[in-house]
Amino acid sequence: MNSKLARCTPIAALVALCALSFQAFAQQTPAAATSPAGSGSASNPALGGPKPKGPAPRLANGKPDFSGVWQGGGPVGDIKDGLLPGEEIAMLPEAEKLMKGRLSSEDPEARCLPTGVPRVAPYPWRMLQAPAYGDAKILYILFEGNIHSYRQIFVDGRKHPDDLEATWYGHSIGHWEGDTLVVETVGFNDKFWFDFVGHPHTTQLKTVERYTRIDAATLENVITITDPGAYKKPFTVKFTATLRPGWDLMEYICNENNQDVEHLKGPAGL
Amino acid sequence: MAIRMISGMISLLACASLVVAAPVLAHHSFAGEYDSTKPITLSGKVTKVEWTNPHARFYLDVKGDDGATTNWNLELASPNVLKRQGWSSTSLKEGDVVTVEGSLARSGAKMANARLVTLADGSRVFARAAADGGA
Repeated sequence: MNSKLARCTPIAALVALCALSFQAFAQQTPAAATSPAGSGSASNPALGGPKPKGPAPRLANGKPDFSGVWQGGGPVGDIKDGLLPGEEIAMLPEAEKLMKGRLSSEDPEARCLPTGVPRVAPYPWRMLQAPAYGDAKILYILFEGNIHSYRQIFVDGRKHPDDLEATWYGHSIGHWEGDTLVVETVGFNDKFWFDFVGHPHTTQLKTVERYTRIDAATLENVITITDPGAYKKPFTVKFTATLRPGWDLMEYICNENNQDVEHLKGPAGL
Repeated sequence: MAIRMISGMISLLACASLVVAAPVLAHHSFAGEYDSTKPITLSGKVTKVEWTNPHARFYLDVKGDDGATTNWNLELASPNVLKRQGWSSTSLKEGDVVTVEGSLARSGAKMANARLVTLADGSRVFARAAADGGA
């Protein structure tokens, strides 16, 4: 394929996708994207291969299989977007003052630092378990970005240690409640933000994430935030991760050429 | 019929927005870095392409009305987002003549977010989508 054709085909794919848009919207499929591959097809490589249909797959031990490359599942822009009906974010005055004073250039994510929990970057991540077969002892979440990092969730029955040092991802222990993986995390530092708008927390933060693969293509994450240092009462949010079939994680070294910080101006925001 | 026409228009607008207006999410606040109320169009020759994280970038020599040349810094999505859309580090090359539509940086630097990049032959590179997960 010559270079000009290669440059044109993504647009051809977009046109083809737009031509198929009535059907796409009727089926509530994700928004189309451009790609040189799959021209003339409703399949969209930029969003992964065709979504698997049907119920969540299961492992030989009967547990739901959470493995795969996912995207989403936590707050990106504003954690309040995930509030469940009847829930509210009631901030303590000190936390409110802290949030109002935050600048977009101070966002740790903009500075290529970790998202913490429950924030996610708008990039994919992979969940996998060890050992690969049988009952998991540790679940790993491997992040493509914002930094190339990982979380580990111990599902071997251990408790949180007494001598935890504050960290970006904290200490996570998990157990199963039916088909839902319940992950409790404590031991956080107070450095990360929950979102672009700068919702804060303290080292008293405890998160409980409830992961349920509600169907083959969808992983639901219901998160209860408890932090008496920043919020008057706990609140619960729900975010959904979408399976990206056919994707692998790719290298993403955020600090390689980060020019954004010096150009970010004004208060924290979307 | 009217309903069909309206839904068709909505659908077309939705498609247009995929390429033109999508304020896609990156690792930083978009509004904190770029002013969407200050659109800018630049034409010139590509002097360098950086296929780097957290953003791919390219630099453009733009000749002003006074004849002076200014080098602009244009921000794209992350390389991974672009790669998954089928673009590559060679989709745009040094020496290409392009027209860029984007939003001006708030910092006052000669910098912009490159929303649309059109080559001299009218073809576009790095067209973006609403759900691509990166800017």
